[in-house]
Amino acid sequence: MTATARIERLKERLLAVRPEMDLENARLLTEGFQEAEGLPLIQRKAWAFRKQCAEKTIFIQDDELIVGCSGSKVRGGILCADTCWGVLDAELDTISTRRYDPFYLRPEDRKLFENVIRPYWKGRSGYEQWQRRIPEDTRLLRDNGVVYIDRKAVRGFGETTAGYADIIRKGVRGLMAEIEERRARIDLTVPGDLEKDDFLAAELMVCEGMILLAQRYAALAFEMAEQEKDPRRRAELEEIARVCERVPEHPAASFREALQSLYFYQTCIFMEQNAASYNPGRMDQYLFPYYDADLKAGRLTEEEAQELLDCLWIKFSEPCLFQDAVTAEFAAGYPMFQNVCVGGVDENGSDAVNELSYLILQATMDVQLYQPSLSVRYSMAANPNRFLRKIAELIRLGTGFPAFHNDDIGIRMLLNKGVPLKEAFDWNPCGCVETNLAGRMRQYTALADINLGSMIELALNNGICRKSGVRIAPEVGEATTFQDYPAFEEAVKQQIRYAVAAVVKGSHLIDDICLERVSPALSLTFPACIEKALDYSQGGAKYNCGNGIILIGVADLINSMAAVRKLVYEQKRISMAELVQALATDFAGCEHIRQLCLKAPKYGNDDETVDEIAGRMFTFLADEIESYSSKFGKMTPGILPVSGNTPFGLEVGALPSGRHAWKPLADGVSPSGGTDLEGPSAVLKSVAHIPHGRFVQGTLLNMKIEPALLADENGLRQLMALLKSMCSLGVYHVQFNVIDQAKLLRAQKDPDRYRGLLVRVAGYTAYFTELGRDVQDEIISRTTQHGISVG
Amino acid sequence: MENDLRGNILRIEKSSIFDGSGLRTVVFFKGCPLRCRWCSTPESQSFAPQRGHDTALCAGCGLCASQCPAKMGPDDHRAADCQFCGNCVTFCPQHANIIYGREMQVSELLEIIAKDDVFYFHSDGGLTLSGGEPLCQPEFAAALLKGARELGVHTAIESSFYAPYPAVEQLLPHLDHVFCDIKHMDAAAHLSHTGVDNQLILENITAAAASPFPFTMTARLPLIPGLNDSAQNLTATARFCATLARPVQLELLPYHRLGLNTYRKLGLPDPLPGVGPPSAAEMADYRKIAANAAPGLVVR
Ligand code: SF4
Ligand code: SF4
Repeated sequence: MTATARIERLKERLLAVRPEMDLENARLLTEGFQEAEGLPLIQRKAWAFRKQCAEKTIFIQDDELIVGCSGSKVRGGILCADTCWGVLDAELDTISTRRYDPFYLRPEDRKLFENVIRPYWKGRSGYEQWQRRIPEDTRLLRDNGVVYIDRKAVRGFGETTAGYADIIRKGVRGLMAEIEERRARIDLTVPGDLEKDDFLAAELMVCEGMILLAQRYAALAFEMAEQEKDPRRRAELEEIARVCERVPEHPAASFREALQSLYFYQTCIFMEQNAASYNPGRMDQYLFPYYDADLKAGRLTEEEAQELLDCLWIKFSEPCLFQDAVTAEFAAGYPMFQNVCVGGVDENGSDAVNELSYLILQATMDVQLYQPSLSVRYSMAANPNRFLRKIAELIRLGTGFPAFHNDDIGIRMLLNKGVPLKEAFDWNPCGCVETNLAGRMRQYTALADINLGSMIELALNNGICRKSGVRIAPEVGEATTFQDYPAFEEAVKQQIRYAVAAVVKGSHLIDDICLERVSPALSLTFPACIEKALDYSQGGAKYNCGNGIILIGVADLINSMAAVRKLVYEQKRISMAELVQALATDFAGCEHIRQLCLKAPKYGNDDETVDEIAGRMFTFLADEIESYSSKFGKMTPGILPVSGNTPFGLEVGALPSGRHAWKPLADGVSPSGGTDLEGPSAVLKSVAHIPHGRFVQGTLLNMKIEPALLADENGLRQLMALLKSMCSLGVYHVQFNVIDQAKLLRAQKDPDRYRGLLVRVAGYTAYFTELGRDVQDEIISRTTQHGISVG
Repeated sequence: MENDLRGNILRIEKSSIFDGSGLRTVVFFKGCPLRCRWCSTPESQSFAPQRGHDTALCAGCGLCASQCPAKMGPDDHRAADCQFCGNCVTFCPQHANIIYGREMQVSELLEIIAKDDVFYFHSDGGLTLSGGEPLCQPEFAAALLKGARELGVHTAIESSFYAPYPAVEQLLPHLDHVFCDIKHMDAAAHLSHTGVDNQLILENITAAAASPFPFTMTARLPLIPGLNDSAQNLTATARFCATLARPVQLELLPYHRLGLNTYRKLGLPDPLPGVGPPSAAEMADYRKIAANAAPGLVVR
């Protein structure tokens, strides 16, 4: 099956749109807040939301079957004025042209911002509070590139999985009935019930807004149908009108209604608060009953279902995340991270794969856009080989999807977050590789990042940042006084303790500021929020976790420690003084020391002398982070740079791993580029030394998949075996980077990053970078999208 | 481990998918009695360690020479003076130097082989001995195979079968699969292209096939255009396979030039200038010829 002509047209049109700032939403929010002056905060937010629903620009595009848009235009960057108007203020002159994720700002929008938005919000946003109140040690580490912690100050909640199934199944009317029922139990003479009633009344306003918005779409579709000349499109528009009249107000009665209901709600929570990572989650589970019933009743064919899914996939690619320039550097590509998940187990712990799981995988194969982020939960015990094979086929397409998750470890992570097994079975990947539970769990999964490269630098430089020359961290003694390896390791740990504590303090402040980041539209599908009559932002969800603290530069930390141990303390090939001197000068004039550092054993080669350090240090890191709690719960560790390894690298000088100063750090739990020389099995064995289940916000592994595995049926089967092996080893996640012609050309130009790349044919293997130019050229000419062929 | 034998190893390769079923660890032996003109692994021929140098990569910085106890220059191939200390490899920023060959113990190898057990399990993979010629170090190879088997690892060998039969016999009980190369059926051509006679090889293959051990067998014919790709040779090879005492698959492997750079690193000339790989269409023709020659024979 391939995408239909409709999908191709939709996709082409979307890709031609340049991202623009979209300030209509901020204007309506501002006006709404002004109108609702005097009401409690939660109701002013709800009032503004209802106003957005009633007045926002709506449109239906040619060829669309699923409709809706959070902004007034596709690929618009929506500004959360109440959270971070100041971000745009600071970038008014540069936003259109900045290097990462530019948004075109129209002159009239700039005026709107200066005349309406800024004057109202000045002094009132969470971002301003944050800038003013950030603890001094946290600020110092942040300003020196040791931690990155502004992300949550500059955008809304996100990093959550709403209860989409609730909207689909019960409809907004059904939820309203539940809210009314809860409201009936309010007693305004009881202290605290006033706030509860305010909250519940706000929820009802949100519901009214959502119904209104859908009705406006229905009316628009009807109007357009009347004017449409093409009878086929007219019928489609009439169907859109009919669907929008029914959902999300009423329970969905068909697969199509379920998709439309889901997408309306998705746009609503974006309208409320622009942020990354609102995750649709386990679509193959909660949509299956509708698909199955339609199919059995003969109302829907598999092809029609596929086209509807493909249409929805296009919609997921419409929004573009607005964020500040620095955050964009840490997560470039307008990343919305709407994570859709298929597979895994059901509430009995049995196989949950169904026909819809395959259709969803196929949608990503058809559409091949960057959204939604497609994840699979693969349960080796429960899921069938047919499912694994389909996954392997998608991997070979080279889109980078799906993100492959080992279900058992995901479940273990949820258990470690304090969720009982029965519910842990229902987990879903969130954003990048974090873990979530639909309609039940609250936290920032990736609140802040810690630069592990800096930990080495600060340990060897007595707390002084190499780049700024400023002492920003504890004095742990001059490196030359470390008598043995344990003394060095202790210095690293001391720096880690200090950085973690600083991040925890910052996190608590963010929690405090975000108590005012009320989210009534999001809270609507968290049943515990309604029952407790407490907003999501204030802990209304069933499970509240401490925020996620993310570690970046895993391989840099491990390799540096391994090199110091081997070269300085075991082999004594160089002295600590020589090493420190070499690092201070970025190895200038001591290339031989750099070569020794580079050739020291590296993480990613199944070498126990290195991997043992990984196991120990990452147990220590998890212990350290978990030793703190917030008012919501135990702090949670994770390893998932999106692209943060690049900007962090710019802040770190030379390292004992042999890495030059100011170069990118390694990503996720992956080996440093070009240092894994033993093939995929050795990479997985090394990576397995990290205690994945304890990094409950996920661990991210990027692997290169060599041409041999792409070539034929045998390669496909071996890829399946590799995935199963990875599960046996307890590695949590992997995403594959297919080596195609373009990558080989890159390897030819930049051999150091591709040292481990193998070229294999029967009876012969070589490292690509070691073949002569002529042979390399020959291989490149023979390598296609689908692998290398010799003969 | 008592009696922990030592052998000459060229290198170890993991997760190979072309040397038997599943994902395999391939142990390349160093040293081979044949001198095939198309050899893609010339660094495996000599039993002694060798030093390779890539002049195309070398930047002439002199770092290697400054750290060399034997004061050898980068492009120096005198094995007699080299102490094989590895300094020139460690210190070269260009990855221009390489040492081919080192001595390893059975126990050391078994530890490496066992590391990928999970991968063998899920892929039906295992261990493959290749080379070089494993049969030239029969006690060592047998101990390795036996040890791997005891760990539950599937075993295979890739061999020219050019060795006294007792050497072959030593290995057969410990093997699950055998790949034997048949480079030419014509004795004179075999001698001129590989440096040795094919009579011993064909006798050994025949005897192995008739042995009582339950391994499976694949014959491999590397096809070198103009040297051994005649219809006559294909037909003879296929018929020979069909006469063996147990079912043998015939696998035709296209000649490739991926090893060319290794010749340069060893300071050797291109052994087959002007000969290129056969096309996919030619390979299909070869397969057809072989299959027609021996109905019932599986040709891949
Ligand atoms: S291996 Fe040692 S002795 Fe031999 S050339 Fe290299 S540095 Fe010199
Ligand atoms: S160290 Fe490497 S680049 Fe420098 S002279 Fe020796 S071989 Fe050439």
